Amino acid sequence: MVFFVLRRSFFAIVLLLIVSAFTFVIFSALPADPAALTCGKNCRPEVIESNRERLGYDRPLVEQYGAYMKGIFAGRTYGEEGSSIHCSAPSLGYSYDRHECVTTLIASTLPVTASIALGAFVLWMAIGVGLGTLAALKRGRWQDRVATAFSVIGVSLPTFFLGLIFIMVFVIWTGILPFPRYTGLTENPVDWFMSLLLPWFVLAIISAATYVRMTRNGILEVMNEEFVRLGIAKGLPRRRLIVTYVLRAALVPIVTIAGLDFAFLLGGALVTESIFNLPGLGKLTLAAVINSDLPILVATTMVSAVFIVVANTVVDILYGFLDPRVRVK
Amino acid sequence: MSATANVPESSVLSVGAPSSQGLSPFRMGLARVKQNRAAKVAFWVVSFYVFVAVLAPVLVRILNIDPYALDREAINDFGLPAGPMGGISWDHPFGVEPGTGRDILGRLMYGARISLLVGAIGTLLTTVVGVTLGIVAGLRRGFVDALIGRLGDVTLAFPSLLLIIALANPMTQRLESWGVPAGNTARITYIMAVLTLFGWVYMARLVRGQVLSLREREFVEAARSFGAGTGHLVFKQLLPNLWPQIIVFVSLSLPGYVALEATLSFLGVGLLAPAASWGIMLGDSVRYYRAAPTYLFIPGVTLMVLVLAFNLLGDGLRDAFDPRSDRQQL
Amino acid sequence: MKMRSKVLAVVALVGLVAGACGGSGDGAQSGEESGGLSATMDGVKEGGTLYVLTNQEGASTLDPQRVYTGAELGAWGSTFTRTLTSYKPVAGKDGTSLVADMATDLGTASEDLKTWTFTLRDGLTWEDGSEVTCADIAYGVSRTFGSEVTAFEGPQYAVSYLDIPAGDYDTGSAYPGPWLATAEEQALFDEAVSCDGQNITFKLQVPVSDFAYTVSLLSFAPVPEAQDTADQYGLKPFSNGPFKVESYEEGKELVLVRNENWNADSDDVREPKVDKIVWQFGLDETVIDERMLADSGDDKNAIVYGGILPENLQTVFGDESLKDRRTDGFDGFVTYTMLNIKTVSCLEVRQALWLALDREALRTASGGPFTGEFATSFVAPLLAADYEPASLVEGLNADGTPNVEAAQAKMDEAKEKCPEVYAKATEDGLRFDHPDTDTWRKNIAIWIDSLGAVGVKINDNPIEASKYYATINGDQGDLMRAGWAADWANASTVIPELFGQGGGFNYHNNEEDPAFADFQSKVDEAKAETDRDAQSKLWKELNQVVIDQVWSIPGSATKSQNLVGSNVRGAYQWLPFGWYNLGAIGLAG
Repeated sequence: MVFFVLRRSFFAIVLLLIVSAFTFVIFSALPADPAALTCGKNCRPEVIESNRERLGYDRPLVEQYGAYMKGIFAGRTYGEEGSSIHCSAPSLGYSYDRHECVTTLIASTLPVTASIALGAFVLWMAIGVGLGTLAALKRGRWQDRVATAFSVIGVSLPTFFLGLIFIMVFVIWTGILPFPRYTGLTENPVDWFMSLLLPWFVLAIISAATYVRMTRNGILEVMNEEFVRLGIAKGLPRRRLIVTYVLRAALVPIVTIAGLDFAFLLGGALVTESIFNLPGLGKLTLAAVINSDLPILVATTMVSAVFIVVANTVVDILYGFLDPRVRVK
Repeated sequence: MSATANVPESSVLSVGAPSSQGLSPFRMGLARVKQNRAAKVAFWVVSFYVFVAVLAPVLVRILNIDPYALDREAINDFGLPAGPMGGISWDHPFGVEPGTGRDILGRLMYGARISLLVGAIGTLLTTVVGVTLGIVAGLRRGFVDALIGRLGDVTLAFPSLLLIIALANPMTQRLESWGVPAGNTARITYIMAVLTLFGWVYMARLVRGQVLSLREREFVEAARSFGAGTGHLVFKQLLPNLWPQIIVFVSLSLPGYVALEATLSFLGVGLLAPAASWGIMLGDSVRYYRAAPTYLFIPGVTLMVLVLAFNLLGDGLRDAFDPRSDRQQL
Repeated sequence: MKMRSKVLAVVALVGLVAGACGGSGDGAQSGEESGGLSATMDGVKEGGTLYVLTNQEGASTLDPQRVYTGAELGAWGSTFTRTLTSYKPVAGKDGTSLVADMATDLGTASEDLKTWTFTLRDGLTWEDGSEVTCADIAYGVSRTFGSEVTAFEGPQYAVSYLDIPAGDYDTGSAYPGPWLATAEEQALFDEAVSCDGQNITFKLQVPVSDFAYTVSLLSFAPVPEAQDTADQYGLKPFSNGPFKVESYEEGKELVLVRNENWNADSDDVREPKVDKIVWQFGLDETVIDERMLADSGDDKNAIVYGGILPENLQTVFGDESLKDRRTDGFDGFVTYTMLNIKTVSCLEVRQALWLALDREALRTASGGPFTGEFATSFVAPLLAADYEPASLVEGLNADGTPNVEAAQAKMDEAKEKCPEVYAKATEDGLRFDHPDTDTWRKNIAIWIDSLGAVGVKINDNPIEASKYYATINGDQGDLMRAGWAADWANASTVIPELFGQGGGFNYHNNEEDPAFADFQSKVDEAKAETDRDAQSKLWKELNQVVIDQVWSIPGSATKSQNLVGSNVRGAYQWLPFGWYNLGAIGLAG
């Protein structure tokens, strides 16, 4: 067992190294010049050239990558002697556009994205699993049809469209909710909650759609298992049967997939954050794209990948616990 | 979504399929689809869109509208549509675009061509690459299988949307420097390339799973014992049994790709003006959503209906070819 | 029966909706409005918090040597960064005249206009109570040379005017800035900017008659060396004005509070009223407009940075009750399209482009008459002294619509006179470089369409907005979009910069144009001219030359409109900066 965990963890680390190298190469090998951004309106090509040299962008990629990775563990100093700026470990780079250490920026935006992801997660599980269970239990009846309709429509809605519609309906036309403007949880919990309500619902509805279907099918499958049939034959009360056995069995794969989706969302719900103006990781990334702020792009890609890989590894390990067959693959 | 799909044994025992004797699984699936009302409606809707997209140049001439012509009469001094409801009139059945006065219906029609083109070719490429790699992984096993599997893991570890957006401009420039015609051709090439790059994994895994279970089946063993080569194996034995899953996957990925192109254009990293992409229109409509809400609604609903139709069709196909989930009775 | 009522219901609904979505554009006209009551100081009380609402994610920078946005130059200058000289804090044309700020007067110049001396007043202090010294000013000025930090973001006059030998550093100077300079290199700078007690002396390499204006720019503002955090100074600058920076977080807010260590006696220019100024970033534009219209609660104490959405202009300017809260006027900018004289070397083709262009459609696409008036000069109307509507190319329609016949006639002429350029324009097409924004995606369609009417092809080349100028610096298209405002109230910062030899923003490649030699000598004459009236006359003549040669196609003299809360006072349009005198604003309740 321990060996299995070690093996999966080792694989995860290797994967992260590969991903970080890939990311670095992709962004460094672009025609977009990381040096070009370090120069303002009056910039001249010669200046960009010398900036490139100064900032080390003309070094071989391997060397750049090595320096970058070292910075993550030991911190790094940017700029020339006399005007240098030190970013302490873990240093993910320095953004000349925002004049800040990238780690600082990510640290300040991550809580926002985490708030969004967490709330959306709770909501979509509640809606998705709830409706899915209902659909499974009332199979064939109108509840099932409604839930399935919700599922199909939800999956067909582009995120940005739903977001815009919500704003139009709830903020502009009816004025039920104020226009979302993010307030920190520590500053004012009530405002924090209200400002995230619309984004949560937008994300939740679209994600829940898939989970309705999954839960429904999952429960129906489990219902058909031997042990359930046995329970029914034995005369166990239906309610107890469903709650104690069926749900638990059906939910395991669903929760694990939800975990993966949650991790994905931590990388920043780009479109949602952009529409609702929430200063999270996604918005940071979009701004970085517009400004060609490569250090931020590299860092957010890596951070995102870390979440995804870690979540995958945790899920794999959990499955290893639950299903011994997996361990001997 | 969930675990691998097995080849339905129930293709013989299917519920409700008329005269199932002697028909190929494909035929029987088709018959089942025809019974699904929602899927049938969806099919006609999709066909309608395709029809409009293909015949757009003819249709605009018949309806006397022009997606590119600026109509100064239709907008007021502020650039907003002069008529009510975003400028809906006989001349402009769906209204006009604020700022320029271009006809929205015409632009929607031409937008359909782009959306369907990107969706179709993107899905085609993804399918080809995914199926190929899936078959190779399933047949070869061992090192090649592991390699493809790891490649898939690495691909999935990347935040796809983020990368697609971040690399849009630089990569398009790179493509142009390699000789791809500049402008929207390069843009579309980039979008297709990147869709394939991230999309092949699911298809490949699906196919690999199928191939793994199929290769143990008797008919494959029989063919092998007759000395059938790999080529024959793939094309005559495996693929015919893979078609159902492939079709289902295609019809479920297509809407995703269409929506993705719209999202990219909405964010400004998709196609460029003056192309009439739905995404561009939606992105532009945001600043007018008070003065001309129809400019947001009409393209938005158009996009949504297409995606919905594809999803319904895909669901119907999946239920028809793989009705596992509907077997159980409570 | 049932059918009919359904139809009626639908019709009623349509009517409701139609009423709600503004129909025609009558009623609201664009003119000059200075803000009525809100521009006066009637009823102002001391104290309170002023809010600045903006759609932008943050300020461009707070670093005095790196800021180049008109509104910010005025905003920071009036709150936390003083300069040797400054503009008169009043509305209207008087606001473009200079007054002494940290200096005792407007400086003394030598005969040859190459040596300028200013004397610092007493009582100048930093936010920690320490004195603002001559050395601080010298240090501030030297930062512009340190391009590895200041990155050419601010005005480069320090580099182009100060008498420091040329060298190999990126700025073209032999002095690399304070962070990298060796002792010898620093000595070069110290020669050019020297301190003697309270006197600061600038030695210039060219005669500059309006140097007193140059030092009003924030790039000549002091920075204490001990507090300099180089690239990060723009996040928390040190204040010597009535306000200081308490906190600045991009995407959230900037908070300015009163600086207790500022001596009101040492400052004739600033009369602060409020206790606190809070900039709120990242607000949705629609929401800003709605809040300002609703004018409730704290929004009564709010102003806007960024203007009003086009669709709300009707509401704002059609409602008389808003007269005391709104402004409408030129913002000092002129937009234009540069032509590459090297590749489009045929005058007739250039004239044809101008005549065929549908300027009216372009203006409508960006929001209509409120966005500006068709430019008749590259000098903005605000620059009253040097502004004069030039006589434009013959046949140009005053209402902005294209004159296709006249344009076609010019093209026909061009076919005979300059067949290569004609062929390029009609077959290969002309490459149009512009920033890649939503508005430009529409504009380019109008360009393609209207020029197509005379057979000219346009090849669209959108460039990422943030890298636009850097890109065209290296590689010019045939047409390039641009916009410019004078750096101070003299066209010496317009004509030479845009069209003259070595001009920082001259991408026309016009040195080889036959008319250039005469043009340049006249420019040199104007720059050395000390008689302001004579100088104005020269600028007007030079502008006419540019117009006659069509080196650029003038676009719009842009206007901006704004709305303030009902408690706001002292919010007048400060002409040199195109926005409010932020530090002077007070609240009446």
